Amino acid sequence: MDHHSGRRFAVPHKKLSLDIKGTKTDLIICSYDDYFLVMVTQIGSMGTILHAKKEEGVSIHPTFAVSVIFGKRDEPMLMACARQLIEHISNSGSSKPLVLSLGLKDHSLETLKGVASALIENRLW
Amino acid sequence: MASGELKGHFDVAVAKDLSGKESTSAVSTGDGDGIQITCFTEDLNDVTFHFQIIRLEKQIYAWIGCNSAKLGHLYAAAPTRPNNAVSVASILGGASDNTGSSIARRIVLKTGLNVILACNIPKNSPMLEADAERKLMEKLKELGYTRSRSQGSVLSNS
Repeated sequence: MDHHSGRRFAVPHKKLSLDIKGTKTDLIICSYDDYFLVMVTQIGSMGTILHAKKEEGVSIHPTFAVSVIFGKRDEPMLMACARQLIEHISNSGSSKPLVLSLGLKDHSLETLKGVASALIENRLW
Repeated sequence: MASGELKGHFDVAVAKDLSGKESTSAVSTGDGDGIQITCFTEDLNDVTFHFQIIRLEKQIYAWIGCNSAKLGHLYAAAPTRPNNAVSVASILGGASDNTGSSIARRIVLKTGLNVILACNIPKNSPMLEADAERKLMEKLKELGYTRSRSQGSVLSNS
């Protein structure tokens, strides 16, 4: 095995744990070359996985495409969370798309707002 | 949206791999189980492979990077009822090449785990796939994440 001494792992990442409405919530944020991967779990698995990206265009205001790529497709709050994050990523100057996994016990507004604010506070973008 | 909405303790573990060697970081909580992230890099036959394994309670996420830190294609694989046959779904990146989906399938076959695999190995590279898969399997066994399928379904019903 070759040792790459002095170099960091190719993918910077961050992991944290917090309490949202009394439920332990784990957050993992990874920055790949071409994607941000964000995992939020309260249920021990990744849950629903969403994809969000900034669309190419010439207008001043960027538009974003958000879709569920695995899991629940009937939970608008999950899409809203992804939409909020991709916009924040874009406003921070990065055009990398986002893969977001949300394995949450409830999809209430308070929970999703707590998730979004925790992610923004600990962002890697 | 104020951060005042966040209640309780806030444990931040920033895991960085400083030397390129393996680093495993685990946040242990009161109930004894936390998410473990294992990252390591290996050179095999002049190709640099990066591996990232994130162990959640009921699922494993793994990423294989071949000479780059791109995410690659994403697959979900798991044993499915009624007879624990393995199902694989391509969830990002398209399925026109099977690179990664066959690795995901074989990991589930051998370990019985519920797996999300991201893999950026170029298509039509069976040797690279085989090397990466072998290394990943070795590491999963070493970390103790694998379970014999004869122990029954590992899908939790809760």
